[in-house]
Amino acid sequence: MRKILLLVGLVLALGVTVFGQGYDEMPADALVYPIGVAGTAYENVELGVRGGTLYVPNIEDPRGWNNHTAHETSTTWFTYRMHKGLMALDHITGAIVVDLAKSYEISEDGLVITFHMREGLKWSDGEPLTADDVVFSYVDVVLNEDVDCNSRDSQILPDGTFPVCEKIDDYTVQYTLSTIYRPVLNAIGVNLMPKHKLAQYVHKLNPDVPAGTFNETWTLDMPLEELVGCGPYIVTDYQPNVSVTMERNPYYYAYDPAGTQLPYYDKVVNQIVANQDVSMLKFRNGEVDVYGMRPEDIAILLPEGPAKGFTTMITDKARTGTTWIMPNQDIGLPDDTNAEKRALYRNVEFREAIAHLLDKDTMVQNVLNGLGTAQWTSESIPSPFYAGRDEYGGPITDNNAVVFEYDPALAQSKLDAIGVVDADGDGWRDLPSGEPFSIELNTNDNTLRVAYCLIMQDDFRAAGLNANFQVVDFNTLVGKLFGQTGDFIMLGLTGGDEPNSGKNVYTSCGSLHAYRYSACEEPDEIDQRIDELYDLGANTFDLGAAFDYYVEAQQLLSAQLGYIYLCQPTYLYVYYDYVGNAGLASPTSSPHGDNGLLTELCFDRRLL
Amino acid sequence: MMKRNGLRALGLATCVVVLISAIGFAVELYDVVANESVPEISKAAGINLVSDYLATHTAEELADLAINGATPGIRLAADRALFEANGGLVPYVALDQDTLYAMAAAGDQDAADAWVFNARASYKRPELAEAAIADSKVVTIEVSLGRLLGGLYGPGSPLGMKAKEELLRLVVNGESLGLRVAAATALTTYWISESAFTIPQVERAIRANSGINPELALAHQDVLAYLYGLE
Repeated sequence: MRKILLLVGLVLALGVTVFGQGYDEMPADALVYPIGVAGTAYENVELGVRGGTLYVPNIEDPRGWNNHTAHETSTTWFTYRMHKGLMALDHITGAIVVDLAKSYEISEDGLVITFHMREGLKWSDGEPLTADDVVFSYVDVVLNEDVDCNSRDSQILPDGTFPVCEKIDDYTVQYTLSTIYRPVLNAIGVNLMPKHKLAQYVHKLNPDVPAGTFNETWTLDMPLEELVGCGPYIVTDYQPNVSVTMERNPYYYAYDPAGTQLPYYDKVVNQIVANQDVSMLKFRNGEVDVYGMRPEDIAILLPEGPAKGFTTMITDKARTGTTWIMPNQDIGLPDDTNAEKRALYRNVEFREAIAHLLDKDTMVQNVLNGLGTAQWTSESIPSPFYAGRDEYGGPITDNNAVVFEYDPALAQSKLDAIGVVDADGDGWRDLPSGEPFSIELNTNDNTLRVAYCLIMQDDFRAAGLNANFQVVDFNTLVGKLFGQTGDFIMLGLTGGDEPNSGKNVYTSCGSLHAYRYSACEEPDEIDQRIDELYDLGANTFDLGAAFDYYVEAQQLLSAQLGYIYLCQPTYLYVYYDYVGNAGLASPTSSPHGDNGLLTELCFDRRLL
Repeated sequence: MMKRNGLRALGLATCVVVLISAIGFAVELYDVVANESVPEISKAAGINLVSDYLATHTAEELADLAINGATPGIRLAADRALFEANGGLVPYVALDQDTLYAMAAAGDQDAADAWVFNARASYKRPELAEAAIADSKVVTIEVSLGRLLGGLYGPGSPLGMKAKEELLRLVVNGESLGLRVAAATALTTYWISESAFTIPQVERAIRANSGINPELALAHQDVLAYLYGLE
């Protein structure tokens, strides 16, 4: 009998390791995406079938397989598919949602967050996934000074402390904060790494290994069969400069409503190519199934799509980030000059006139070749906190937009009303005192920005404003920005999904509050309210309430026109029609630099 | 058990029928490519035989057929098979623009395609491509620029999309080869995406225009190649 049991055990073990079979049945706590369920964000996602191989291009080789020491997207493309965390950003909406946690609760004082993990889950090697792995990943890896970890900084609370993470039981962990700080909710849900495989490489847990050993683990030369993860795929083959192959994790915990375990594709093969042009050519040849198209590719790909069976996705979805023009409201302040010009720039009616002179439609057509969208607010359009949504993570309606339409006549009447008129008859508007007035418009040597500025210069001049555009080198431009010495500056900022990361830009004492640094010492009522709203937004775990605070802040900022927003390029993608759900690729589904493809929901239609 | 065997037999029979019909159509294409006197129809068949040629001919055979093949379709099939065997456009785009230009000027259409591919960021707007066509002194480059411009004229283009009626005028009366090729490219895109024609209709249109309105025949040739590929 004992021999029979041993034999059965051996067969089961072989079944797991050789044939990759996972759970006998769907775990009770499995994550089920509401694919195709009406009324959910996944309503338009299609139920797929398992099987097939997805081919995607990748520009660079990865540099390792260690999730927490990876610094580059060429590596995280793989590690983020091998590892998941307690929390995640939703594939479709970008909203923060539970992932390996099935629920969480926050204490009344907002200082204790308790996560309840999905029970009965396993790592890809069949070992149980428990709270020990959470504590290991957070305390022994992410917060460990001995580990060269990129995500440690995002764990720091406003008072400089870190959340304290403790295991309550096998499936419950608790984080205690010194202060309420909503943005940490996403940060503490770090990707989990397996304690049973990696604890031996952490010096504080195993003094036999030297400090820093963890940084040298899971490098490219490791035996790949040693890799263990909890994400949808595990790397199984790497050919330098050629390809990386990932195969499904037999113990992945996500399912579709039909009970099919995800991911749908058996394999994802990343073909490593020299550059984006080669990616594009491989796509045209059918060697890869998807491609993050660029504007210059459209004329070539559009006509080929119908015959070759691929879809060229030219969306109206904006990329993250902002582009703006900024009248320096502190002009002349450092050397006590330009008092009248400064007063003019601080007059919101003047800035409204400027806003009405911004021909964003022409900018989109002429500069972005029709592949852009006008921006009106400080938050990136893909963010779930974007004020053009009616609720956190909801669809974009732009019902709340504060828009200044292109209206040169209105702009001129506003300029007339504040006394900016042509007093001396030379054809240019003067300051209200009658002194000559000119605008120096600067940006750096960036093709798009220069093109924007030329359009603005023309419109300003047509309205009687003596605007002179000059390109300056980037460092000079930044010097003007930070040194309060610029006049009108045109630049852009990167963006993300978390408004709090823009706090240094929009609150009165922010290091990038460049349109009026003096607001730090002399905040007006609106500045004070914006500061308060940013604090309120960060100090509540109620996402709906936080959304409302950030909407109010965005509306105030937009009405105040400190930074006056221009346009943003739209998101482009192209995919063969046999890749199901590839059409869902979008900037909001790209929380981890994976170019927007929902890999774990894609499937091969040819198998239907 | 009987039922299962019956299903297996049915499945096998279906596979055989599908295989026979696929072989049958390939045979028809070989017939068309070898015997069709209208070059565009021959080429449309040839485009669909590239994979077959690649699998069944050596590089030497392909090189010979690409030059000495009996019909335009055979020469095209061999030429495209050889092109694919050599890595497609990838090795071309790695060459510098001066080299590609010289090759294009000597009549190498692939070199012209690569030259335009490498320079495509300069032609994101229709008027820029139109100006380049007007200035072009090399026929192969003008054709490549025309294809690029066709992408901007065609359906779904964010800039420069033209109506079919205008394209139909342009494909016949366009003042330059590049503009007529652009119109042909855009028309092909329209017709394929709209499933506008059947094979007999396209064949008739080609016979009516071959040698008379070559770019209009070219537009139909590409639609026919697509339709042949669906069979």
